[in-house]
Amino acid sequence: MSNSPRLDALALAGDLPGVLLDARRLAASAPGFHGRRRAGQGEDFWQYRDHSPEDGARLVDWRRSARGDRYFVREREREAAQTAWFWIDPETGFNWSSDAKTPTKLRRARTLALALATLLARGGERVGVLGHAPRRGANAVDRLALDLAAPVTDAQAPEHACLIFFSDFYAPTETWRQRLGAAAASGASGALVAIADPAEEIFPYRGRTLFQAPGAKMEALVGRAESAREEYSARLQQHRRAIRELGARAGFETMQYRTDHSPAPALALLSALVAERRG
Amino acid sequence: MNFGPFLFAAPGALLALLALPALWWLMRATPPPPQRTPFPPARLLQGVQTQEHARDRAPWWLLLLRALAAALLILAFARPTLSPGAFVQSGRTLIVIDDGWTAAPNWSEARDVAIAAASEAERADAPVFLLLTAPSTPPRDPGEALTGADARALITRLEPKPWRPDRADAAARLARSRAKYDRIVWISDGLDDAGAQALASELLQRGPVSAYLPTSTARALISGAVTPEGVVVEARRASNGPASGAVAAETSDGRALGAGELRFRGDELSTRARVALPPEIAARAARVRIVGEQGAGAVRLLPAGSARPFVGLIDPGGAGQPLLSDLFYVQRALSPYASLQRGSVQQLLDARAQALVLPDAGQISPLDSAAIEQWVERGGLLVRFAGPRLANTPSDRLLPVRLRQGVRSFGGALAWEAPLAIGTFPQDSPFAGLSPPADVAVRMQVLAEPSSLLEANVWAALSDQSPLITARVRGRGLIVLFHVSATPAWSDLPLSGVFVEALRRTLAFAGRAGGASPNDTIGGQFIAQRLLDGFGALSTAPADTRPIAPEAFALAQPSPTTPPGLYERGGVSDAIQAARADESLSRLSLPSTIARAGLGAGAARPLAGWLFAAAAIFLAADLLVALLLAGRLPRFRRASAALLLLLVAAPIERAHAQAAASDPTQALRLAYVRTGEPRLDRLSAEGLAALGQALAARTSVEPGTPAAINLESDELSAYPFIYWPAPSAPRRLSDRALANIDRYLAIGGLLLVDTRDGGRADARPAASMLDGVDAPPLEPVTEQHVVARAFYLMRSFPGRVANTQLWAETALAASARDGVASIFIGNGDWAAAWAGAGGERELALRFGINLVMVALVGNYKADQVHVPALLERMGEPR
Repeated sequence: MSNSPRLDALALAGDLPGVLLDARRLAASAPGFHGRRRAGQGEDFWQYRDHSPEDGARLVDWRRSARGDRYFVREREREAAQTAWFWIDPETGFNWSSDAKTPTKLRRARTLALALATLLARGGERVGVLGHAPRRGANAVDRLALDLAAPVTDAQAPEHACLIFFSDFYAPTETWRQRLGAAAASGASGALVAIADPAEEIFPYRGRTLFQAPGAKMEALVGRAESAREEYSARLQQHRRAIRELGARAGFETMQYRTDHSPAPALALLSALVAERRG
Repeated sequence: MNFGPFLFAAPGALLALLALPALWWLMRATPPPPQRTPFPPARLLQGVQTQEHARDRAPWWLLLLRALAAALLILAFARPTLSPGAFVQSGRTLIVIDDGWTAAPNWSEARDVAIAAASEAERADAPVFLLLTAPSTPPRDPGEALTGADARALITRLEPKPWRPDRADAAARLARSRAKYDRIVWISDGLDDAGAQALASELLQRGPVSAYLPTSTARALISGAVTPEGVVVEARRASNGPASGAVAAETSDGRALGAGELRFRGDELSTRARVALPPEIAARAARVRIVGEQGAGAVRLLPAGSARPFVGLIDPGGAGQPLLSDLFYVQRALSPYASLQRGSVQQLLDARAQALVLPDAGQISPLDSAAIEQWVERGGLLVRFAGPRLANTPSDRLLPVRLRQGVRSFGGALAWEAPLAIGTFPQDSPFAGLSPPADVAVRMQVLAEPSSLLEANVWAALSDQSPLITARVRGRGLIVLFHVSATPAWSDLPLSGVFVEALRRTLAFAGRAGGASPNDTIGGQFIAQRLLDGFGALSTAPADTRPIAPEAFALAQPSPTTPPGLYERGGVSDAIQAARADESLSRLSLPSTIARAGLGAGAARPLAGWLFAAAAIFLAADLLVALLLAGRLPRFRRASAALLLLLVAAPIERAHAQAAASDPTQALRLAYVRTGEPRLDRLSAEGLAALGQALAARTSVEPGTPAAINLESDELSAYPFIYWPAPSAPRRLSDRALANIDRYLAIGGLLLVDTRDGGRADARPAASMLDGVDAPPLEPVTEQHVVARAFYLMRSFPGRVANTQLWAETALAASARDGVASIFIGNGDWAAAWAGAGGERELALRFGINLVMVALVGNYKADQVHVPALLERMGEPR
């Protein structure tokens, strides 16, 4: 990635329509979310009801009332004051795939995030990228997509926010302890979406191999990769368990997802998680 | 240093081969680099230890590859040379070179072989002896030992001599040396002569002989003459000399005047060729040569004096008015036939003029008069013209007759007589046979004293018998007098064609009046002007060339004392030819005890370049393998990378083998349809071969051997021109063949269907041959058709019979192919005509050439039709 954020955004914009399309298709196939279906604070019309004396004259909808003998009150649909905040891992290693045919982890993360945002926006929720303003309304998802393309800042989460972390969680456990601890301190909770490349689970490498973490100076020389598979697998499980425990302690549900699997079940699970959390 | 046939120029480098095992160990100890792969969770792998270390040693086959590359590099640095001659234990080496003109065509190969032999001897530090079979002065002593380097330098400078080897003399010279040799290399010209067997047996007594013979031997022109039809030569060859070629006539400064075809039919060893030229151009031919053949024998000198006499015009001065000059008409008349020079009497006599033309002159100075008289006595030809001055001076000694004073004038205002015409030329006159022109009127003449006419010859007279041209022998020479002036003032004679012819016939006496040959007429020795070298090039004779006495010159054969070239004697030019008139060229046959090799086989081939190339290929393969092992071949799957490796390593010979196979796309080949009748097929093959030769000789199309094709199975698209003769019993073609023909016609091939029934009653219709073919509409071919002008302009298209019919696809039908007809149908039996089995062969060949031109360049020449219209349009004022 180059140093200029604008160039990055432009490079990414080339990818955006595809991601958006993926997300819309995904959202369309997901079980629908609808409005709260009850009266409340909002902008959209919900129902007329009869005027009751404690309402006062100010609430009378005169245009409707003039057509009959009774007084009516216009009620608006209740709106969720909730905002779902997304955070997508900016590491270079996250934008990687072992095979040109499977999408990178980053792309999958964006797809999932936008699909979820589409569902939420359809339900009248606000969505936002951490560090940017929350978006709502018809263009929310498009705006969100642009926000996702902008460079990520490690901003402080708002109070009691619903936070969804998309990452491979390969950073040291300590980093995540701090990050999740800070989120928990502000009362946020939500979900950790751990996205993995198939190669990172299967470990198909053979022979003398020098493994290099992209974007980092991390290197590991393995004399005979096929015989290191067992140990790697154990270490991966151990790391994942540690992350899961960290998340559970901070109030974040963890879900595991692989880029070569279909994103639809993951989206369903994710939306259920978010809905359940919102109560 | 040599191993078998391999010589190493820098054998020290081979010591490095000893280091190969160390290199092997070193490469084995160095593991190949690990493959690198990006892996985000690399942190998780930190500190992972595996027990085995796979491939931290290079695989054995990679080691082998590298060791091989290293070995090849070491061998290449040792600069090896493959020389077949190195089998022979080089010792005292005798190199015998046939260095006559017969070796000139293959001289560079011969020299390479000789240099290789000398180099081998040089490497072995053995002395080299050189025996040159062509005579030279002084003759080379074969007993003189040379170092290899000296011998090489000598051979590099060596050039073929313009005479043939004298092997008997060479054998005698060798016999005097009485030495034995470890190796004898005989680089022969491949031609037999009287001494060949003597030399062969002499050589065999001296040591093991290997002879190098050229595959094709020299040819010679054994005669050449300028005739009214052009320059005619006779050529000779040995049985392995090239069968076809061309002869070209050139001027003395080397400009080509014209060329003619030279062809030995079948096994013929001698043939005639003609360069067709108009007489006045042929008169300028100074030599004829076989085009492209090096060798003095392939050049025939045509000495100038034999064809063009050197005529001096005695200039009276007053050149200011050229049309009134007395010499103008003479000069115009003679310039095509003679070399002319103007000057004073003394100048012209000094320049050794063979004839002098003296226009109207009064008193000749006594000095000039005496000189001319003396010159005429020795054989000169003096031609004089009358005029007012001659008429008014008393007769001098330089006249054939005594003249009366004054002029006879007819047709003037005060004369009774009308102008007279020329009478019939007398039988004993050299002009006999010329028809006297009726429109020539003579108005004035000088008259001879009747008594003096008895001693003179009257060559021409007027209609009243008064002499017009008289001649008289004086000593060995001749004096001729025209009784009229050389200008049209006195008569119309200078304006007529008879004047030219009369002067020309008169000039036949130049330098040989009285029947004496020119050699005897004027004294002195023959002095070399320009001499031939062995390759057939003329150069100025060196100053120390000895003159040759006339009696020796007549018998002179090319030799060091009488080198071939152009000689001159008293203004008369003559030549000694390199090839004798009875030159015999026959293939050299050697005793079986002499090892034989082709010229060019013995040349040493340096191998270092090939070895470097092979090492580079191995190193490139190693690089690929290393990349493969390191996983750095991103775009290729491993299988394709391995395939690439295989391709690189695959021998390139396979491609060569394919090209060498008879691939019709590699060369243009004319094709004919195989009918299954042996006689007809043979005729087609011969006809097309003859057409191919004509094409190669006259045009830039050089077709290969004709191809016989099967309409059913062969791919036709490779052949631009297919000749299809009608078999005796034509049948309907199979569907496969029909489809093949239709496709061939559609893609623009040219098919000539020959029904071969020209001039016969039982006509074989083309209908049964072409039954089922998608034949386009046809039209008769006229003079306007492009085939009538594609190369030759033709009015008809004769084959075996003169009146043939030829039909072609209409231009309208062929509009998809730019109007070029794809099918021609005729009844000329052209293959038979081309093969020379009857009919007008030349015209048939021209038709064939035109047709092939149409097949190759389409309607390129059709534009000629529009030329008159275009010219007319260009000429129109704007």
